[in-house]
Amino acid sequence: MRKSLICLIPVAFMAAWAQTPQTPQAPASKAVKEAFKNKAPVSKDVLKVKFPNAVESHLDNGLTILILENHRLPQISMTMQIRGAGGLFDPQGMTGLAAVTAQMMREGTITRNSKQIAEEVDRMAASISAGASTDSQYADFFMSGLTDNFVDWFALGTDVLLHPSFPADEWTKLKQRQLINLRQQRTNPSFLATERFNKAVYGEFPAAIISATPASLEAITPEAMKKFWAERFVPQNTILGISGDVTAAEILPKLKAALGGWKKSEWTPKLPADPAPATAARVLLVNRPGSVQTNLLMGNIAINRTSPDYPAFVVMNQVLGAGSTARLFNNLREDKGYTYGAYSSFSAATFPGPWRANAEVRTDVTEGSMREFFNEFKRIREEKVPAAELEEKKRTVVASFALSMESPASLLNLSITRKAYGLPADYWDTYPAKIAAVTPEDIQRVAQKYLSLDNIQIVAVGDVTKIKPVMEKYGKVTVFDSEGKVVE
Amino acid sequence: MKKFLAFSAVLALAFAALAATKEVVIPFKQFKLKNGLTVILSEDHSAPTYSIAVSYNVGSRNEKEGRTGFAHLFEHMMFQGSENVAKMEHSTLISTNGGSLNGTTDEDRTLYFETLPANQMDLGLFLEADRMRSLAVTQATLDNQRNAVQEERRLRVDNQPYGKTFEAVNATAYDNFGYRHSVIGSMEDLNAASLQDVQEFFKRYYAPNNAVIAIVGDFKSDEVQAKLNKYFGDIPAQPAAPQPDMAEPAQKAERRKTLEDQFAQLPRLDIVYKIPSGNTPDYYALRVMCQILSAGQSSRMYQHLVKEQELAQNAFAGAGSQRGPGLAQFGAMVRPGKDVAAVEKAIYAEIAKIQTEPVTDAELEKVHMIARRSEVAGAQSTLNRAIELADTAVNFGDANLVNETYKKTIAVTKDDVMRVAKKYLTENNRTVIVTLPKKAQ
Repeated sequence: MRKSLICLIPVAFMAAWAQTPQTPQAPASKAVKEAFKNKAPVSKDVLKVKFPNAVESHLDNGLTILILENHRLPQISMTMQIRGAGGLFDPQGMTGLAAVTAQMMREGTITRNSKQIAEEVDRMAASISAGASTDSQYADFFMSGLTDNFVDWFALGTDVLLHPSFPADEWTKLKQRQLINLRQQRTNPSFLATERFNKAVYGEFPAAIISATPASLEAITPEAMKKFWAERFVPQNTILGISGDVTAAEILPKLKAALGGWKKSEWTPKLPADPAPATAARVLLVNRPGSVQTNLLMGNIAINRTSPDYPAFVVMNQVLGAGSTARLFNNLREDKGYTYGAYSSFSAATFPGPWRANAEVRTDVTEGSMREFFNEFKRIREEKVPAAELEEKKRTVVASFALSMESPASLLNLSITRKAYGLPADYWDTYPAKIAAVTPEDIQRVAQKYLSLDNIQIVAVGDVTKIKPVMEKYGKVTVFDSEGKVVE
Repeated sequence: MKKFLAFSAVLALAFAALAATKEVVIPFKQFKLKNGLTVILSEDHSAPTYSIAVSYNVGSRNEKEGRTGFAHLFEHMMFQGSENVAKMEHSTLISTNGGSLNGTTDEDRTLYFETLPANQMDLGLFLEADRMRSLAVTQATLDNQRNAVQEERRLRVDNQPYGKTFEAVNATAYDNFGYRHSVIGSMEDLNAASLQDVQEFFKRYYAPNNAVIAIVGDFKSDEVQAKLNKYFGDIPAQPAAPQPDMAEPAQKAERRKTLEDQFAQLPRLDIVYKIPSGNTPDYYALRVMCQILSAGQSSRMYQHLVKEQELAQNAFAGAGSQRGPGLAQFGAMVRPGKDVAAVEKAIYAEIAKIQTEPVTDAELEKVHMIARRSEVAGAQSTLNRAIELADTAVNFGDANLVNETYKKTIAVTKDDVMRVAKKYLTENNRTVIVTLPKKAQ
């Protein structure tokens, strides 16, 4: 990693200029004009991998534990998913409560102050953190470190988890920084796009909100955090995943000793009614004066994680826009040169989330970019995916599983996902077969069902004076300023 | 273990504790093919995967005036096809077979990499060899990638708050053209890049004797060695590529510049000092110093500037590892209503303290633990190991440095930290860039 990774240098200084963004996923296809030469030596076999199963245990208080041993390196990672403690459960008027409750846990316990916690964490080179985003139903609690001082950092992490004190003076300090963050994030075009998009697609569902406001932060008190923490951080709603240099036999007694006294409750999180797709197409423009690009983000509510359409949707997304070889990238970047990258993606949780397509394009090709996005949406809806392209994409999904074998944390995540969504025990073993079974007809069916152009929600952040005439062709336009206020 | 004996009794005890834990060493073997390609192989059979990193000894430091951004634009061209691989075929083949890939360019070197399932070793080697041997460029692909790179510049620089700050830092601090200009380059220079430039650059710098290939993962070294000869062996060597002189004249007075940023909400302060290249004893001492100042929430700058004085929204210090003269960078986002000058003064107060008072044992111990943990974390993925091996070999001529960072870090003493702080963090060696939010028109 980090040849020049030094202390804490903000991203701008790292200046690693890459061929594509550093988190690409998959490959591509049809806007390519040059035929492939097919001369590279390829093994026809897809490497079959047998995923190691995490060992599952339960404590009497209802805590679910998944342990995945891997002794290659002397490090251990623990991640907790606490359902019901995420921002979807923020009380009315206190947006951000879940997030700051999680963040404040490191700022003091009954026996340690903020600085002591910071000192101890850094002395052990451990990581201890908690977080909860406004559009998730989970809070996440994470701790990791070296094997040889595990006992010490685990004790500290457990103290932070079970005995946070939410000191008022620390909240006063943190709140000031958070208020400044709220201002700073409004300079970021992708924040502005996501803020507007989530509001458009989720409607009344709480995932519509992606950020606290100055007023909601001012309404939050240490007492509110204590109450939220006491109600929501409960073991029966929690999955604890452990990966790395441990054995179940060694660690289970330690977990029982440290977490066995964590009191369970009767509380079960309940989400409001599922979000439904918006019914009419809308165009939401956010004016960001001086922008030299237009951030385009569009889509609509689609499926949840347990939908029978899930495997077909995965493959459809691969064809359309997952990564640097899919149709959107091929068309908007490799053919037209409109953008550094064009992609599609989707969220599927216990509730339905949106599919979305996005690109940042220079202002004067906003029109051409919209045309090509819509051409690709129409193509995947109206034409069957050619057999060779479909095979390529299915192979991409299945073959890439081998790479997760390098990372105990990735393997553990598969187990946590399975557990969190109540998927069958053999889910990942049978997943490749489910992907392989997807047909061109399946792709077209899910594209027609979910990628409807009659009700698509389109967000564009940029120089509104230049892009409004173009965007009006796609639906009724509302213009917002960068503070989120309707201006026309 | 005898390397530890030179230390004081207190530290020796700490090492005794550490020595009881598993040592993380990345084993490798290194050799050259007849055409001069340096090969580094590190077997690891713990997962059915492998990674390749090819690091070419060329970066933006090699660019000519009028062609800034060219090394990175060229990197994009390496994905546009070669004699036996069509445009988009390279990335499609890797993705379709379950792999991942990318490339990246910095001032010093250009790196290409991929991770694949272990049964696709021939594919990865063939693809890297084909583009090293026979890059195929056309005016159309050049124009297309020029557009993509210009959008990358707009995305990351021109359309972002503080995007232009880092360009101003290097342009002001450095005299030598090599590091004075940015890796992404200017729009004008990108427009000027020609097909002939691409061909000349390829011939001059993309030769086997100007590159290192590191392969880490699930393979047998003798089998891969034979494949390397098969795929790379007949690529001709080229005359040694010219290497620019990176020397900087001694700076004689503080340099200072103020920028206005139309997207910024908060003033930002950047203070840099020129320092020696990476992998020198003074560099390691400066790195330790910066970590004591800003690594983690217990660090001095976080505790003092952010938590106690509430002057800064965040504050950082870091020492850049470059082949030529690097920069020690200090910076902060200034809180609304606070004076930029007060933040600058507070940073100088931290610097003065570390110049005149020894750091504590506890602070040194933290830095040692950070080094140990990052050594362990860095050995997780095959890709990270391959990149570190290839990059350290290209930049510093010694791949085994990947196994020595911890040793070199713990060799730094309290006196070293004070000494380098006094030597390099001087007013005359300083450049200050202030970025101010542009007032509404």
